[in-house]
Parts: sequence; C-alpha cells; structure tokens
Amino acid sequence: MDFRFSPEEEKFKEEVRTFFEREAECASAAKEEWDSGLGYGPNCWSILQKIGGKGWLCPTWPKKYGGLALPYMYRYIIMEQMQYYLNIYSTVGAGMAGPVILSHGSEAQKKEFLLPIARGEIEFALGYTEPQAGSDLAALMIRAEDKGDHFLINGSKLFNTRAHYAQYHWLGARTEMTEQKYKGISLFIVDLKTPGITISPIWTVGKTRTNEVFYDNVKVPKGALVGQKNRGFYYILEALDYERISTVSGIERDFVEILEYVKKTGKGKDPVIRQKIANLAVEIESARLLALRVAWMLNNEKIPNYEAGMLKLLVSETEQNLVNTSMQIFGPYGQIRKGSKWAQLNGKYERNYRDSLESLVTRGTSEIMRNVIAVRGLGLPRG
Amino acid sequence: MDFDYSEFQSILLNSTKNFLEKEAKGLFREIENTEEGYSPQLWEKIAELGWLGVLFPAEYGGIDGSFVDMVLLIEEMGKALFPGPFIPTMISGLAILKYGQASQKEEILPRMIEGKLILSPCLVEPDHTLDESIIEEKVSAGNGDYILSGTRLFAPYAHVSDRLIYSADTVQGKAVFLVDTKSPGVSCKPLDSIGGDKACEVDFNAVEVPERSVLGETGKGEDIIARMNEWGALAESAYIVGMLEQVLKMSVEYAKEREQFGKKIGSFQAIQHQCADMAMDIDQAKSLTREAAWKLSENLPSTKEISMAKAWASDAARRVCLMGVKIHGGTGVSEEHDMQLYFRKAKASELAHGDGDRHREIVIRQLGL
Repeated sequence: MDFRFSPEEEKFKEEVRTFFEREAECASAAKEEWDSGLGYGPNCWSILQKIGGKGWLCPTWPKKYGGLALPYMYRYIIMEQMQYYLNIYSTVGAGMAGPVILSHGSEAQKKEFLLPIARGEIEFALGYTEPQAGSDLAALMIRAEDKGDHFLINGSKLFNTRAHYAQYHWLGARTEMTEQKYKGISLFIVDLKTPGITISPIWTVGKTRTNEVFYDNVKVPKGALVGQKNRGFYYILEALDYERISTVSGIERDFVEILEYVKKTGKGKDPVIRQKIANLAVEIESARLLALRVAWMLNNEKIPNYEAGMLKLLVSETEQNLVNTSMQIFGPYGQIRKGSKWAQLNGKYERNYRDSLESLVTRGTSEIMRNVIAVRGLGLPRG
Repeated sequence: MDFDYSEFQSILLNSTKNFLEKEAKGLFREIENTEEGYSPQLWEKIAELGWLGVLFPAEYGGIDGSFVDMVLLIEEMGKALFPGPFIPTMISGLAILKYGQASQKEEILPRMIEGKLILSPCLVEPDHTLDESIIEEKVSAGNGDYILSGTRLFAPYAHVSDRLIYSADTVQGKAVFLVDTKSPGVSCKPLDSIGGDKACEVDFNAVEVPERSVLGETGKGEDIIARMNEWGALAESAYIVGMLEQVLKMSVEYAKEREQFGKKIGSFQAIQHQCADMAMDIDQAKSLTREAAWKLSENLPSTKEISMAKAWASDAARRVCLMGVKIHGGTGVSEEHDMQLYFRKAKASELAHGDGDRHREIVIRQLGL
C-alpha cells in the first residue's frame, strides 16, 4: 500500500505546477472568467490552448491525436493542477466527447476532431437533457429522421451548458421509436452554427449561464453520426462514467483560504468553529483519497464501476460542507454579495453557496449516484 | 501509488479470514458473559499464527511487519467481532519496544509474542467530580523506589493481564510504570459496560514499584501516553472499519432476502440509499485509517492522519450501526440477532482512545489553530 506518486509522477507534477506559476497572469484571468459563470472567455481559450499545446489536455491519447500516450495518473495530476489554478479540470471535448470518438468514431471524425480537441481549439456542449428527460435520459424525444443523405433534426434541449460558446453540440437524439426507449437513441456531432439552431440563455441561482437549444428542421450530414445508429445510449453511459471523475484540489485550495481567514480574524478560539473546520478537513482528505483510488484504478485498467459514482457523490457533498461551513463562520456577513465593503473574501463564498447547488444535480444527481452504488456496487435489486 | 495488498498481506489476510471463520462464530456473544471476556485457548492460537508478533522485530520472536499489516489484521478481527485484549496488549508492547530498556524488552516482549503475557494500559484518571470515593492519588518516592496509590479507569482486560502500564504524576513530571498485575495492593475489577469488552477499574493501594519499572524517562511520560493513545486510536479505527463492513454486509444480505409489500426491501430506494451512504461512510473511514497506518509505517508524521481516521471512524461507527439496526427492523433490536452486538461494541470502540470530538480537536491543532 502506498499513497504517494512515483518519483517520475512527482517530477511531472512539479513541471505542471511550474507551468501554471509561470502563466499566473493568464491562468488567474481565465479563472476569473470561468468563475463569472459566463463560460470560456478569451483567457480561458488562451490557457487551454497553451495546456493543449503541451499535449496535456488529452495526455493519455496517442501522439498522433495530440496526446502523449501517458498513463492515466498523469491525466489525474494535470486535472488536479488545472482545478487548482483555473477551476476548470477538463474540457467536455477532452473528457467526454473525445474518448467516445476515439473508441467509436469514424476515421473521418477522428481526423476532424481529435487533434483540435487535444489542442484546446474546440469545445463541445453536452446535448442530453430535455424538459422531460433528466435522470431518465432515455426519455429524450428530440427527433433525428434519417432522410437518406442527411438527418433532419427537430426538438429542443434544456440545461445544455456551454452551448453558447462551444463549437459543437454532442447531441443525443432519437432515431427510432422503440419500446425500450434507450434502444432508439443515436449520438451526433452537430456544428452549432448550422441553420435552424437557436440558443436561448437560462440563468442558474449561481448566475451561471446555461441554455435552451431549439432545433427547427436542422439538416445534419450523415457523417455527423457517431458510431452505430441506435447505439448512442451505450456510448452516453460510457462517457458518463468518465464524467464523474474529479479532484478535490479546488476544495482544498478554498479550505486553506478559509483556514487562513479564521486564523487572521481570531475566530480560531471558538470551539464550535474548531470542530466544524476539523470535520471539513477530514471529509476533504477522505474525498481526496477516493479520487486517488479511482485514478489508480483507471491507471491500472480496473473499471471504477461504482467508485466513480461514489466519488461524484462524495465530492459534491464535501463541497456543500465547505460552502456551508464557510457561511456559518462568516455569520450574517456571509450573506453580503461581492461589491460591498461588508462582503467577506470578496463575496466568493456567497456566490459559491448558490453556484455549488448545480453540482448536486448535474453529471448525475446525488440520488442517482446512490442508486448506482446500491445496485452496481452492493448488488441490491433494481426497484 | 498502490491500493493493492502485498503478497505477504494477501497471505496474512487469507489465513486470518480462515481462522476467524472457523473459530470466531458466535464467540463474542458467548464470551461477553464470562468472567475473562476472552478465550485463553484462542489467545494461544493467535500467538501461533504470529498475530502478536506482527509489529515486533524478529529478535523478540516477531515478524517485522508494518502498521499497514496490523491494520489489515485488525479489520478482519473487527468483522468477526473477535474479542480479547489484542489491542491493549499490542499498544503496551509497542510502548515497551519504543521506550523500554533492554532488560524490560527482553523480559516482556518474547513472552508476550508467544502468548504468555497480556498487558493493559492504565492511563485514564477518574473524573473527580463524579465520585468522591476514589482512592487518593499518591506518588511517593523513597530511595529510588515508588509507592503508588490511585484509581485508573477503562483499563481494557486489566483483570486478566500480567502487566499494567500505569501512568502517574511524579515530582519530576509524568511517569509511566511497568507494573506486575499481581503486585500487592493492585486490584482490577471489570466494569459491566455496553461493549462487554471488560474495561476495568484498577485500584492501586500503596503499591510498591521499584525504580527500574519506569518506562522511558521519568518526566517524559506525556510522550509515551500520547503515542500509546495514537496507536490505540489507529487500532480501534481499524477494528471499527471491520465491524462496519460486516454490518453493511449483513444489512445488504438482509435487504436482499426480506420481503414486504410483495417485494424485497432491498429494491426500495430508501433502503438502497441508506446502504449507499453506509458504503461511502465506510470507504471514507477505511481510506483514512489505511493512510494513517501507511504514514506510521513509513515513519512519516502521522499524528494528524491518525486523528483524522479516528475522528471519522468514531462517528461513522454510530451512523452505520444505527442504519444497520434500522434496516433490520425488528430483528435489528432483538438480542438474538448479531446486529445489536455490533451496535454495542461500536460505542465502546468509538470511545476508546478519544472519540470524534477529541480527535477533531487534535486535527485542528495540527492545522495550526
């Protein structure tokens, strides 16, 4: 049993850290853009392309596709540092769409998309959720009719975050009406500038932008289909397991900030605050260890069947502990928004308190995660 | 990075599981009503298996194992609810190994590892606001030797022990004494407690203790006590992890069998989510405990990690056992079913060597507050 990175991995981690320290100006500007909730600004693109230029966005990919053919642990190391410096630990292209294109895409698709994804030049918006299809993703209804030489797509998507700045839509659409709904779904890569697509903003309580996306007789080339027709749901499930990997380095960073705040303000003498902070520290460490274990599993080609779901659940709950504890420490000042002299730590935690709610429901709700643990992990019978 | 077991650990775990499978069924229930509270026959057997020597050097008959090996072993013991003075003997032996003089080590360790000596730490002084009838604390020293009087509480299995590790304040500061349990003036009385694990009241009535019984340096006793509590906290965390894994296993098995409203209750979301929460809670306790054990094994600073493990494991013990009781419904509260055994022993382990609040306080100090 060993909880350390190898000397080579440790050296690589230093290399990545040094890169971010050198690019501090661009990185902190990128982080500010991202934290504004508006999506990738110019500094985000800039830093992502610098990272991609080093092969670090998709380090496990073959070199010909812009990767470094490195083992998974190196990806984990990069994600940790990216999360710490940018609050962006991956792109959707690198983390979800790309791996599916790599495994199931056509040669033409691999040629067109993989290198730009790895270089940080393009981004994908997930096109899964609809008003009637959230956790029950198979209930999606947007229709992709096979017209012989193209597909004609009609319908709408809800809560498609990133659609307003991504170049491509990673679209799950229904190609066949089947009795078992998941058997009639296909995956498409759609250029979001295609005529007939309308993107309309939705704002979350955290003032993060997400979108409604409307497809009105949108013509999509045959080559946009990923893998086999009607097999899309399997690819989506595959991609979802990747999506649940994360690190706690952002939470750790924020914890250190709160700890410093408590030291500076002399609140460290309060026994209640002492207990709460200690509990938070322990929970964060336990989440970090689970993230490491999942990374190790992937590094050793073991499938984190339910562990990825457990990690997603634990990280989002730990984040809630952090924002809740912070607000309790600030007392009534915690409610004051950024801009006022009474706002604490620039109102960052007031915003986080609102914005962190999102991670309880995206990428799989906490309740779905519990279902996954129970059924896949413990073998309990499906309800 | 490696989350797998070493070959040695796989072998150790295999033989441990086989042994406990054969010998430990129903043992806790049977033995908690006896005077000893453990099985001397099985104590001999575990000595033969080498359990008592895992942490000790070959020169004393040990096998030079690590704290990780120890933790894995104790997890299995927790699963089986294996009762007895294993943890108190181990942490006492470790104190002698790290702080004892050569003569003390030679006198105690080989026989302890052979299964011939049981040791018990007597470190907890009573709360004077709770009982006036306590023996007055007295430590007098004359021509190098000591005469000790006092009461110590919650000394695990002191009544069947051969040696006590007794702490007291001397004029030079805290001292730790290695005392023969049969010394005149020593009396050990097992207290009837929730965990049935024979926490004793130990009374010292003018016990004569020669100077050479001091463990380490007089006045440096605080360090020894702190370390013993760290090792004890880690060991109890591991025992808790094992117990909770077994509780989850029992609960899932029950949920897969028990039918109500025409369905297995394991198909109900409430039950599924409770089991998922238990699984995550246990995973957290396990990772923290193993990390702490690993740091200790590598001689890296481990105080914070040990307290993190004990803090989490202590609270998880109640959370998980409570859920286990609930999932079992009526059988969960009946004496006949094993669930209540785990629930009770979990409380004892939660309290041993510092509960959640106590260890969170240690964590926050380690963080610089």
